[in-house]
Amino acid sequence: MIELIHVWKQYHPPSWALSDVSLSIRDGELCFVTGPSGSGKTTLLKLLYREIGPTHGQILIGGTDIIRLPESRLHPLRRTIGVVFQDFRLMSRRRVFENVAVPLLVLGTPAKDLRRKVFIALRMVGLHHRIWDYPSALSSGEQQRVAIARAVVNNPRLLLADEPTGNLDPGLAGEIIALFEEIHRQGTTVVVCTHDRKLLENTKGRLFALHEGKLRRSRLR
Amino acid sequence: MILPKLRQAGKDALRNIWLFKARHLASLAVTALAFLTVGLFFSLANNLRLRADEASREAAVVFYLRPGLSAAESVLVAERIEAGALVARADLIDAESARKRFLSQFPDLEAVVQSLGRNPFPASIETTLRDPDAPTEAVQAFMAEIRGHPGVEDAVFNREGAERIRSIGRLAEAVGLGFGGLLILAAVVVISGVISLNIIARRDEIEILRLVGATKACVRGPYLLEGLLIGVLGSAIALVLTAAASRLFPAFAGGALGPIGELFGFRALSLPQALGLVAAGGGAGLLGSAFSLARLLKI
Repeated sequence: MIELIHVWKQYHPPSWALSDVSLSIRDGELCFVTGPSGSGKTTLLKLLYREIGPTHGQILIGGTDIIRLPESRLHPLRRTIGVVFQDFRLMSRRRVFENVAVPLLVLGTPAKDLRRKVFIALRMVGLHHRIWDYPSALSSGEQQRVAIARAVVNNPRLLLADEPTGNLDPGLAGEIIALFEEIHRQGTTVVVCTHDRKLLENTKGRLFALHEGKLRRSRLR
Repeated sequence: MILPKLRQAGKDALRNIWLFKARHLASLAVTALAFLTVGLFFSLANNLRLRADEASREAAVVFYLRPGLSAAESVLVAERIEAGALVARADLIDAESARKRFLSQFPDLEAVVQSLGRNPFPASIETTLRDPDAPTEAVQAFMAEIRGHPGVEDAVFNREGAERIRSIGRLAEAVGLGFGGLLILAAVVVISGVISLNIIARRDEIEILRLVGATKACVRGPYLLEGLLIGVLGSAIALVLTAAASRLFPAFAGGALGPIGELFGFRALSLPQALGLVAAGGGAGLLGSAFSLARLLKI
């Protein structure tokens, strides 16, 4: 269970990136956060993986107030969260295999187990045949799928995606959303931020609408 | 759990070194030069210490006889000396033998000796002590007693010379540590600079590692290992070059310099010295990395 309780975030006074946002997401839910650029979507995700802290308020994940966690104890939290970025954030000097393997390497996963898990994750996104390529040899859509494979390779409890279709054409964007739905069906809590409302027309899940840092609507589709 | 992480840190460190070969080569060269300086001075000090030990084992006290003393009187003085409780042996070296010995050691100076017209070397009696480490006061008392003999002009205690050589050896060590220390400091700065550039070049990777839950040690490990490898490798190269110098110096330059070459030559480092040098190299590398990490990685 994820809970945001009266969360406020301010970067530069006097404007607020988030104003009094309260919401809760149940385990295994698929959620979409929509809103125009600057509405606070990325801030909301950054708060969830504790890249930043709120100015006021509480954020509970699995009953733990993650704001109270010291920097040195953040790594166990982050190991249970997969994050997908709009700009993919792949390591250009490393092959697809190594990019996907990173979360397992930090866990100290034995080599044999690691190879198996990386292959499974890449097969899920349909890129197991590009395992030894460098990211620069892949298209944008393929790079985004590698980033998704990296985010799910260690079976996280929570998957966060920040504008994962922002750099993709509509056809590919649909495929990526379908991938998130597939990951959700396997029991992972998925939170996807997107400004593209059209993309969500045929999807099921909870919808949160943000506008100028305020939560306007929350509904189940 | 730890072994795969260590293996991965090692692989990352080696990959970094391979990826940025030129800058690592430069830092390796500076590190090797710094430790070569220390190694050579220590090697020189080793040689001086050995020569000093040899000198103190050789004739301990030399009594110079008055010019014109007859052979029979010289033998009497030698017998008187040999009767001393501290003395194991007394060898009479006549003036001609002393001249020959000098010319065999310094053949280039033959013309100078000839030009003097007469033999400038006095006859002497070289003694070997029963106990090479006999108390200095007892030896000096014995010297004073013999010096009172009318046939003896002067007496020299060789241990003083050996002590002087030892002092030069200690000075060489101190200079090596001081000058080498400065160069090692420069090596630390260079290693730190190289690691800093690597951290900056891999900021994106570090960010990703942080986001997927890497611990501080996991992020820092490869950079610390990188510094350690440069330091150990640089000091190992210095060790090999020092060993080469101690072998090659007598063959190429030692002979030409004669006794001076013997005194100021190089002697191989002892095992503790060699291990200390490599450990110090590793320490310098780690220190360089630690500085960069403290400055650039605030996680």
